[in-house]
Amino acid sequence: MGPALEVGPAVTRALLLCMLLVTASMPASAVTYAIVAAGLGGEAEYEEQFRRQATSLSEAIAHLDEEAQVMLLIGSQAQSAALRRELQSIADKAQPADRLILMLVGHGSYDGEEYRFNVPGPDLIASDLSAQLNRIGAGEQLIVIAGSASGGAMNRLQRPGRVVITATKSGSERNATRFAEYWVRALTTAEADVDKDEWVTIKEAFDYAERKVADAYKSSAALATEHARIQETGGARAERIPIARLGKGRSMPTDPELRGLFAERLRIEREVDAVKARNAADAKAAADKTAEDRYYDDIEKVLVELARTQVRIDARQAVLDRTEGKPRS
Amino acid sequence: MKTAATACFAVLALSYVGQTCAASIDYDPARSILLRNCDERLWRGKEEDARSCYTQILGSVTDYHVRAEAAWALGDLRAANTLFREAARYKGDQSQVHVRWGRLYLETHQDAEALKLFREALKVNANDAQGKLAIAQVMADRFDSQARALAEEVLKQDANLVEAQLLVARMSLEEGLLDEAEPAIERALTLSEKGKFPPLEAYALQAALELLRGGSNAGARAQRGIDKALAYNAHYGGGYELLGHFEMIRRRYRESIVWLQRALEVEPERASARAELGANLLRMGLIEQGQQQLAKAYETDPYSVITVNSLRLLDRFEEYDFGSVDNIALRLHRKEAEVLRPYAMQLTRDSIAAFSKRYGFALQEPVTIEFYPDHNDFAVRVAGLPGIGLLGVTFGYLVAMDSPSGRATGDFHWGSTLWHEMAHVFTLEATDHRVPRWLSEGISVFEEWRTGPTPGVVVPPEAIQAFKEGKFLKVVDLDAGFIRPRYPNQVQISYMQAGLTCLFIEQHFGFEKLVALLKQYEKETTVAAAVKDTFKVSPEEFDKLFTEFVKQRYAKLLPRLDDWETLRSKADEALAESKWQEALEPAREAIDLYPEYVNDGSPYLMLARAQAGLKQADAQIETLRAYCRAGGWDPAALRELGSLLQERGNTQEAIDVWLAVNYSDPLQSESHLLVGEQLLAVERAGDAEREYRVLLALDSHDKAVAHFGMARALRMQGNRAESRRHLLDALAIAPHYKPAQQLLLQTIEERASHE
Repeated sequence: MGPALEVGPAVTRALLLCMLLVTASMPASAVTYAIVAAGLGGEAEYEEQFRRQATSLSEAIAHLDEEAQVMLLIGSQAQSAALRRELQSIADKAQPADRLILMLVGHGSYDGEEYRFNVPGPDLIASDLSAQLNRIGAGEQLIVIAGSASGGAMNRLQRPGRVVITATKSGSERNATRFAEYWVRALTTAEADVDKDEWVTIKEAFDYAERKVADAYKSSAALATEHARIQETGGARAERIPIARLGKGRSMPTDPELRGLFAERLRIEREVDAVKARNAADAKAAADKTAEDRYYDDIEKVLVELARTQVRIDARQAVLDRTEGKPRS
Repeated sequence: MKTAATACFAVLALSYVGQTCAASIDYDPARSILLRNCDERLWRGKEEDARSCYTQILGSVTDYHVRAEAAWALGDLRAANTLFREAARYKGDQSQVHVRWGRLYLETHQDAEALKLFREALKVNANDAQGKLAIAQVMADRFDSQARALAEEVLKQDANLVEAQLLVARMSLEEGLLDEAEPAIERALTLSEKGKFPPLEAYALQAALELLRGGSNAGARAQRGIDKALAYNAHYGGGYELLGHFEMIRRRYRESIVWLQRALEVEPERASARAELGANLLRMGLIEQGQQQLAKAYETDPYSVITVNSLRLLDRFEEYDFGSVDNIALRLHRKEAEVLRPYAMQLTRDSIAAFSKRYGFALQEPVTIEFYPDHNDFAVRVAGLPGIGLLGVTFGYLVAMDSPSGRATGDFHWGSTLWHEMAHVFTLEATDHRVPRWLSEGISVFEEWRTGPTPGVVVPPEAIQAFKEGKFLKVVDLDAGFIRPRYPNQVQISYMQAGLTCLFIEQHFGFEKLVALLKQYEKETTVAAAVKDTFKVSPEEFDKLFTEFVKQRYAKLLPRLDDWETLRSKADEALAESKWQEALEPAREAIDLYPEYVNDGSPYLMLARAQAGLKQADAQIETLRAYCRAGGWDPAALRELGSLLQERGNTQEAIDVWLAVNYSDPLQSESHLLVGEQLLAVERAGDAEREYRVLLALDSHDKAVAHFGMARALRMQGNRAESRRHLLDALAIAPHYKPAQQLLLQTIEERASHE
């Protein structure tokens, strides 16, 4: 066993809270626009599955951001024309500070040139989708296509500021995929929340779903017929962008004492990352017991401080909840 | 005869090669007299003379076939191949050319190509005895049951064919039919003399017959047969090699090694003997020596796929951990070593304790268990052993088996396989490998049923159907069911018959009599004699009693096997439509008819599913308990049972059920996490620590919970220092992990109060 060398999870939360601190002092104009669509299932089993998955995803997004404008397209509503209308509507409104989330769950196909997402009526073609998406000015975009052959759309959809996730690595992985099942689980349970900060980032969700898919094929001793991909382009950082909020997940407090404690917590989180980063560098230089002991002493100090700060945060929050007559979490 | 034939080739080069080898003997009466002149010198071990003779043929004879044979005898295989091709072009209407060309491919282990040529020969002449004989040879090498029928067909055509007599004799010896082998060998000897063929292979079979007859001076009698062959040709290693072969198929690897070493003393270039020696050394766990012999064998015969594959596998041993504790050595692939080690070690210890007591034998050497995640690697490890099941193999103190990671979840119960193989270790070593195949397999199956991790007699319907159809063998013939099966799945049926035989012995005569039967094989004996001495009944009487036992045991089921299938289908159809109530009765009736059936589509699981649909949780629990008692082990069913038990507060039983799943499906992170938490809750800290270590080794997605679990388990055992590190590791990954934060603060307070 050795000291954990990962750097970053605390940064995620730190940056998130930074974002919230910053936005709390500006007009609350940043909006999350989301569209979740379930494609044509073909068989009753797939119809039901895609419907259920799309519904769960839309609910997760709604829980992520209570102000989010979430459009769920299922069954006969999930036609290319409807999707086009919704995207155009978003294009008319979205600002650079806004966020766009598009999730498609269903079968797809690829003819060597174009990826097609199967919907009632004419299929949704990747090049058309790309053109529509490119008209949307939201600065942060997440596109997820959870279905067969979806990797065929990757190249068309890449753009600066956009994270694209496909269930397959290319258009030639044509079998029905399991990715959506685990993607949904990532966004609706705590299983993907590796750093236990009650937020699931895009990276956490993707890593979880990818691993679960691989494990599922391994446990049936079957050859994996799907390999999910994630592409982050020009500044988009999947490990920093939250995609799901677990539990109650508090928004930025207005109480000054609590805000002060949050800021304090942020500072300590940065120190945790600093200690880990130093250890990573030290470990390369001299992998000896003394360095290891020193690391554990240093990390313990900051983690204890963090824990104590959390106790104060929880205590202050309990007081505020009692005052406001809210049930304690 | 492939095993007695020389496979000693000089390294193939583009040009002519320098060393004559003792090519396999061509017994075809139609062989060219020119070649026979040279052959006779070679058969007598006069290599230089033979060499000159063949060289002269190459230089003077125009017949492509004859020249091909000469080139072959000189070791120039490429030239031989080219010349055969030319011969086939000009003499394609002569089946002999195709047959001999095919024999060249056989010598270079290219059986598929060889078979094509033999079939071409039969297209030219459907009655070509040599062509049929060559095909029979290939089948015999594969222990294909059709080999004998084909060889006998050839003998009907021409009873004077030496090679056919030799082949039938050898097959008889392999099946333990010594009385049938002897006259065939005698005929072969007589015909060899008449046809002026060398008696070498016949002498070798005589030696093998004496060896297999057993007795205190079997080795000496066998040596006399070898001496006769060596008197004919002092460099003939084939006799010793054949003895090595027969010892190998009797699993007597130490003895096989001795004979093979002697083969190489008289004929150092005999690559087939060297390859077999290498393989046997590997089976004894002597990896370095085995590797050396295989590498040398490869130099002289680079065509042997077995040699090449074995060497490649040995190269891959670098990817494995090898270590031992308490006389148990485990070879585990690095990627799963820490996951499997605790369970494999524990189960091996348990099996040693159980079998030492039950069979009154203490292991004399450390035991090695090897787990192969890649089934192909496992197959290479055991290649060459006939009629062996594909999950595990025991060579004595060495066990090789599939790892659970190499198969789909629920495909096999690796714990039972290990238990089965460990029983083989005892039955083999307690009898110095004399135990007959059927009894060793029977005891292994029996012990799975009685003492293994999934106790319960499990006999599949195919075996019961086989009994009904009168396909069970007499006890004196049961080995043949394993070694040369005569119908598809006879090997599997024979396993069950052998297990039932041991169960019968336990129930009719008492377990101590089963032990007594095994102990009969501490000396050389026959099945008939051992049965008589142990049970005081003739083998025929034994068979009668056994048949009655099976009839009684399955009295309800035997006349209603078809009904049982119908009931299962009924239940299955009802379940498919979620008609839970309708499924109950047929499922119950099916269980009542055949309570032993716990395999795929078990009525127990059907009943449990129906009860789950009707929300009859208590009934569902009872059904799943009954399923486990009957030997059922489906991981999903056991996990479900565990959850149900826990919901009812029956935590200890739930834990035991979940822990049992590790012996079928140890690779699910969620399982180890779940049971780890439960073990902590009941303060079984040592067991909990094991589960969390395995969880860490699985490199699961959520390492923070694994570290946190370790921290708590270690803390419970008073190991504060290591507990602290795991706790800090957990928080380093997940700084906001509240339960871990709370434990950290508690730890700090405790430390402060002690200071």
